[in-house]
Amino acid sequence: MIRKSNLFVISVVVILSMMLGLVSVAAQDDSGADLVIWADENVAPVLDGVKDSFAEDFGITVEIQQIDFGNLRTQFAVAAPAGEGPDILIGAHDWLGEFVSNGLVLPVDLGDKADQFVQVGLDALTFDGQLYGMPFQTENVALFRNVDLVPEPVETLDEMIEIAEQLQAEGLVQQGYVLQQADPFHFFGIQTAFGGGVFGQDEAGNYLPDELLIDSEGSIAAAEWLDEQVKAGNLVGGIDGDAATAMFAGGDAAFFITGPWNLQNFRDAGVNYAIDPIPAGDAGPGRPFSGVRGFFVSAFSDDPLLAQTFLTEVVATDGVMSQIVSNRASAFIPTLENQDDPDLAAFAIAGENALPMPAIPEMGNVWAAWSDAITLVFNQDATPEEAFTNAAEQIRTLIAEGSGE
Amino acid sequence: MSSSGVVQTNVLEKARRERVIARRKRRIGLALRFLVLGVALFYALFPVVWIMSAALNPANTIVNQKLIPDNASFANFQVLLEDGFDSSALNPFFIWMKNSILVSGITAILSVLVSALSAYSFSRFRFRGRRGMLLTIFLVNVFPNSLTMVASFLLLQQVGRFIPSFGLGTHGGLILLYLGGAMGINTWLMKGYFDTIPREIDESAMIDGASHWTLFWRIFLPLTRPIITVVGIITFIFTYSDFLLALVVLRGQREAFTLAVGLNFFISGQFTNQWGVFAAGAIMGAIPVVILFMLTQDFIVGGLTQGAVKG
Amino acid sequence: MGTINRTAGGLKRLSAINHIASQNSFNLILRFVALAVIDAFALWFVIRLTQDKNLPLAALIAATTVGINAFYLHPRMGPFRWFSPGLALMILMVLYPTLFTVYVAFTNWGTGNLLSKTQVIEQLESRLYAPEGSQSYQWTGFVNEAGEYKLWLISDDGSEAFLARPGEALIPAAEAHVGELDADGVPLSIEGFERIERNQVIRHISALGELTFGDEGRAVQVTNTTSAAELRPKFTYDAARDVIVDLETGKEFTPIDGTFTADDGEQLSPGFFVPVGFRNFNRLINSAALRGAFSQVFVWTFVHAIGAVFLQFVVGLGLALLLNDAQLPGMRYWRTLILIPYAVPTFISMIIWRGMFVPGQGIISTTLTDIFGSSPAWFGDGTWAKIGILIVQMWIGFPYMMLISLGALQSIPSDIYEAAKVDGANAIQRFFRMTLPLLLITLGPLLIASFAFNFNNFNIIRIYNQGGPPIAGAPIPTGQTDILISYTFRVAFSDGGSDFGFASTITIVIFIVVALVTLFNFRFTRAWEEAGENV
Repeated sequence: MIRKSNLFVISVVVILSMMLGLVSVAAQDDSGADLVIWADENVAPVLDGVKDSFAEDFGITVEIQQIDFGNLRTQFAVAAPAGEGPDILIGAHDWLGEFVSNGLVLPVDLGDKADQFVQVGLDALTFDGQLYGMPFQTENVALFRNVDLVPEPVETLDEMIEIAEQLQAEGLVQQGYVLQQADPFHFFGIQTAFGGGVFGQDEAGNYLPDELLIDSEGSIAAAEWLDEQVKAGNLVGGIDGDAATAMFAGGDAAFFITGPWNLQNFRDAGVNYAIDPIPAGDAGPGRPFSGVRGFFVSAFSDDPLLAQTFLTEVVATDGVMSQIVSNRASAFIPTLENQDDPDLAAFAIAGENALPMPAIPEMGNVWAAWSDAITLVFNQDATPEEAFTNAAEQIRTLIAEGSGE
Repeated sequence: MSSSGVVQTNVLEKARRERVIARRKRRIGLALRFLVLGVALFYALFPVVWIMSAALNPANTIVNQKLIPDNASFANFQVLLEDGFDSSALNPFFIWMKNSILVSGITAILSVLVSALSAYSFSRFRFRGRRGMLLTIFLVNVFPNSLTMVASFLLLQQVGRFIPSFGLGTHGGLILLYLGGAMGINTWLMKGYFDTIPREIDESAMIDGASHWTLFWRIFLPLTRPIITVVGIITFIFTYSDFLLALVVLRGQREAFTLAVGLNFFISGQFTNQWGVFAAGAIMGAIPVVILFMLTQDFIVGGLTQGAVKG
Repeated sequence: MGTINRTAGGLKRLSAINHIASQNSFNLILRFVALAVIDAFALWFVIRLTQDKNLPLAALIAATTVGINAFYLHPRMGPFRWFSPGLALMILMVLYPTLFTVYVAFTNWGTGNLLSKTQVIEQLESRLYAPEGSQSYQWTGFVNEAGEYKLWLISDDGSEAFLARPGEALIPAAEAHVGELDADGVPLSIEGFERIERNQVIRHISALGELTFGDEGRAVQVTNTTSAAELRPKFTYDAARDVIVDLETGKEFTPIDGTFTADDGEQLSPGFFVPVGFRNFNRLINSAALRGAFSQVFVWTFVHAIGAVFLQFVVGLGLALLLNDAQLPGMRYWRTLILIPYAVPTFISMIIWRGMFVPGQGIISTTLTDIFGSSPAWFGDGTWAKIGILIVQMWIGFPYMMLISLGALQSIPSDIYEAAKVDGANAIQRFFRMTLPLLLITLGPLLIASFAFNFNNFNIIRIYNQGGPPIAGAPIPTGQTDILISYTFRVAFSDGGSDFGFASTITIVIFIVVALVTLFNFRFTRAWEEAGENV
């Protein structure tokens, strides 16, 4: 007689024996692939689609794991040392400082393929004189203009604001010029137009962590310009990136600084747009940030030489490179030459004077304080000078605390 | 006509009038309740309607200004439905949903069983260290979990090296983590309910020769059906909508994603997101949970329970 | 360790047998079989973990197993048997990660010190350098059927060419006895070997990478698809003296605080994590985070947690009372419809609400503007941002509260109400005197748990508005809606890195605060509980 009281004991026995059974069955290695690649939601599907041809043509089996871009970096930092990481991962160039100081990635030798990549891409992936990755796309922001509302490009910020005010007064737009709030990445172009910046640079273009420019004269001048626009009612707080995009796409805004990632949205919405360089301020034309995406080789790869060869021989071909760039300029010259997209050409012109986003680890302490400073001006909770001076103080404090004083 | 007749008619009249007033009162009460319910319903569903509106909007935005967007279409749903059953597809929506239902269902059932056992023990036995254990279980659960995620990752990695079916990237490992996490609160919730069951019931059952096990299995489980159902639903939903833990555990394998992890991909781009598809997924993803409510609510609010308690 | 446990378990087993003998023998056998299986499995797992040097986990599993044995074999441990499965799960899945976090608080684990010492040494020892005057070459590979390789090397300046085999001295081209050379000066064939064309290099690169061509005089290694170079190991680790020696310069690096450092202060990156005692706690005490806006954050953390739970509970309980009536027409549908918000994952709800509040765009803002002519600055004004968060919290949390209230309401016998009705108590009195106190028996601890959860609800702050709007003049970036955990994590985690050691320290301190509040709250629940046990 089996009483109910035994049911529990029996189920425990069953579960445990199942576990033991699984142990003996699945003792082999979890993935049989030669290389494991981590990629984001844009690149992973592309690589997944061509991986069968890699096996056929080169005898290399790859496993593609899709990790969302926002989590790639942190997951890599935890998984790689634990032996659960990939051989190759894609990433943004500004992660490099952290990766290198943590010993997570290896230098990459592109060999004779190196001269097929755009210099700005290679420079961005170089840290302390060493190349650490293979770039695949570059991007920068530019000024989008609604051609139906503003037929001619503007040269200066003053000109832009004048037109914006006029359009607003005529009731043709909700906001003539829209700036997504609290976003230093997009504000940087304006900050540089007034001579401001983030970190100073040496002659070689390396950013200097000791030379913080957030409270420089130029940066504060840019903040004052922002303050004027908010006071004049030209800019409204609380508009985030999605709201700003929706406004421009819907024709409710005439000017918007954004990047190629929004091209698809604007094309889908059917808005008639043009792409111009960032207008000039008191100190000349604005210089946007440029960002580079590339492939990194993990320091915990079992076979880094194979990973590197895979990149130079298999990935660095027009066939693959042309598929993984989506609405961005390719960093691979043969692909770049085939991209006859006028929008990307316009972005390239706007990005001619772009500055690479700093990859030094100290940059991590900058974003929040900088963003808060811009928001404070937007909300009129601090004067431009107070806001930016205090932000610089905050950043210095954080850098000092992080390095253990 | 005698005076008594008059009195009688007056009494009748009065009773009738009282009945009318009572009925009217009931009707007003009912109307009032429905009014409150209507307001509550509006409050509850308004954002949901807005998700629906975003799902129908081809303009890819979550900030809609119109309830029915211009050029409304089901294109966003199409993206998910197209090859929802194809595990090699980009967005195998129904496979994600199946994973979610499986993981959440197993977690909910096991969690209810395990915590009911613990709750019974805490409620019915008196032993040394009982209060301390109860408190410890509680306190362990209030430890901020933002960081334990990393530890959980490393733990599953260790376990997975020896027991691959409970390692990283497996539903088994994920379920174990959820089970551990849900234990404390579920035990407390059930124990509270078990405490309200009169001890006379135990005593009379014991006199009839029942063991604790029989008492638990035959009397407690049926009697506490409302709370067991509630705990099951809560655990199911918590698991169903979690994406932080699932994202860390199920890294990379698209066909193993749970729904929340899969949907998260639509809005985790650095600058751009597919709001419309995301909203469509959220709406469709809610359907299994709504069905679960429909199916289980009679277990929560049923006449049976109270009678049994009284008996 | 495992064996000792087993012996102890065996002894206990002997003494326990007499007691259990009276029970059903089938039951008894089953119990022993189950225990034996669990023990065998745990033993195996503990041994494997010990071999793997994961002693903490091994110890925890061993202790859990001993506990389970004791529960099942010791006659007075009966009550413990009931919660042994749950307890085992909690110990492994919750307690272990928690203890791990506590351990991390006493290390410098984080950016710059992310790897273990072994990993760092391994990485440094695998670094190579090209000695001065060494050559680099362009290579072409040849392979035979046995999988043996030869390389044809042409020096970068084109002046020399060699035939190279693993482990043997390089043979100058003139003495190599190879066939005809092509336009680039590479042999078309070598007897018995097949030339590896460029597009096939990848098939052989792994094998080639393992080999060193040439002998000690000139050791050449493949560095990429076309190049090879004379490389030597850059560092070696002297375990006896615990120093890293730079083989190129002879410089020595000793480990200081998890970084190999030379006498002149030069440091080798990466560093590794080491225990640092209470340094993280000292850093927290001296941190700018504890000055300025800290008190503001502290107060809001409590207001937020209490406010959220209160609003959720009031709405949830109200609706539960309303919907508890089975007689009302269509009640099934009402209940289901009102629970729909619960079916939407919380992170989605937060995003949707944020969208509805966007000024000039979101439906709430535009509607308010239509009616009142203006709408509050839901993101720009601290007070309104706080109100916004509480509104969102209420919506997200009321269905949970409604469900558990609905469940708990079923435990209240209806005859109590009838008795009260006879006593002439009206509905409101009945609710506050009877329903609520009885409900709180079941729900009291749940409310405390909800409080603790919202105290640390990093997610809603992060997704809804990242703690904004900022506080002007704060010593570190601080938002008016930052709660303790989101605020302090700004110091420990930034876009440029993560300081797990410091973050763990913060977590522990916050845990102590929550635990104290919880214990304080439990003084009230104890009263409820004891009342409940006598019903």
